[in-house]
Amino acid sequence: MSNVINASHLTLAYDNGAKEIIKDANFNIKKGEFVFITGPSGSGKSTLLKALYGQLIPREGNLIVGGLDLANVRQSKLQELRTHMGIIFQDYKLVNEWTVAKNVVLPLMIAGYSVDVQNTQAQRLLKHVKLSEHSDKYPMELSGGEQQRVGVARALAKNPVVILADEPTGNLDDYSSNVIWDLMENACQQLETTVLVVTHKIPTIFSLPYRHLIIESKGVYEVH
Amino acid sequence: MKFIKNHLMFILPLIAILLGIEFFLVFDRTTDSYEKGLKEGYSMLVVTKKPATLSDFKALNIHIDSSKNIKREDIVSDVAKGISKSTTKEILDALPYFYNVGLDSYIHTTGLEKIKSDLEADKNVKKVETFGSSYSSAYKLFAFIKFTLKLFIGFMGIVSLFLIIKQMEIWKYAHKERMQVMEIFGAPLMLRSGVLFKVAILDAFIATLLTSLFFLYIKFQWAATSGIDIMMQKQEELFRMTDIGILLASALLIVIIAVYSVVFSSKGVQE
Repeated sequence: MSNVINASHLTLAYDNGAKEIIKDANFNIKKGEFVFITGPSGSGKSTLLKALYGQLIPREGNLIVGGLDLANVRQSKLQELRTHMGIIFQDYKLVNEWTVAKNVVLPLMIAGYSVDVQNTQAQRLLKHVKLSEHSDKYPMELSGGEQQRVGVARALAKNPVVILADEPTGNLDDYSSNVIWDLMENACQQLETTVLVVTHKIPTIFSLPYRHLIIESKGVYEVH
Repeated sequence: MKFIKNHLMFILPLIAILLGIEFFLVFDRTTDSYEKGLKEGYSMLVVTKKPATLSDFKALNIHIDSSKNIKREDIVSDVAKGISKSTTKEILDALPYFYNVGLDSYIHTTGLEKIKSDLEADKNVKKVETFGSSYSSAYKLFAFIKFTLKLFIGFMGIVSLFLIIKQMEIWKYAHKERMQVMEIFGAPLMLRSGVLFKVAILDAFIATLLTSLFFLYIKFQWAATSGIDIMMQKQEELFRMTDIGILLASALLIVIIAVYSVVFSSKGVQE
């Protein structure tokens, strides 16, 4: 299968003079793979994820995502790339002044789908994450687990090529966490979506085969 | 309540700027007509050896717009009472010719001096009296009032602009979260800032409407019943329908600049 992500000699740092967080990392991820990225706190897991959705430009090396080298990409191309990604955050990053349904269809709104299509898709996605009855509520009216399900529904809205998740269950109880893992497993299995999850702990109950990358001493290594 | 407050905090300084612009327009129009009045009321006295025509004066200086001959008989009539006709004729023959000379515009005192020297350079011109001191004091007072008002309008504009920028900072904070989420999911700049543009354009229309209504009230209610001659005579100058266009265009320009400044300063902000 073709590589969706390819990093070679990748070095990441926040400012020009600052120390590197990731240094000379090499890895690739194929289409349809489910990958966990773990590592100690402050090791650079979230930094790597930010680089993968183009929020942090690599200092050195190459980071190719969906055929685009993020070390040297135009803003318009980056915007287009992001429309093929589903991103899930630990703090959900929902727009609090929008209803649940509107939050879910944000990727469709950006892609220019009609309001009718958006409404139909909102109902389908919310049914998928078992939140149909909450479509007209606002995020702050939901529990943490429910808000994260909205985040997952939003990430799945446009059948993304890749889902990037940053500690998606970090703030959730075991029951809500299992619901989120199930949803992401389904996306990977049924839609062949590549899923990259940054987490401090791999779930004990997980039915899909997966790869495990660990970040240690600024490097990214495969765990067998 | 918060929604109304947010709008008012943007609309009020915008109205202040629009009021400044409209005051400037009104002042410019009324001072134009005042200048015209001053110009029409002013003339210099030119004494010539031989009769002169308007074209003779115009040939000496292009700012000369009119000339009126002062009848020498009228000048002599007061002093010639009881004097024989032949003596009166002798006096008349000895007298030079007097002209009231008008100008085409309200000219600064240095310009007046130039006209005087141009006229005096002609051999036919015997004497020129510009009445410079009264002219100069009227001009200086007029220029001072004009400068003070423009300074006040300018100051008001700057203060209002600062208030708008301050409000923009609040908007930036209020919309930051939504704009960042939209950016992460690949929304282009115009889509991310669409709400800001809608709100700002709505506010520009509201501010224009309120300012126009205020001046229409001044024009049709207050000025008409004020009993102040100049206001009643210049009622038409107080607000013209074309001013609505000028105000709306100004308001839209200000809000578009303001929104762009927010959008570009939010661009690329990391979460």
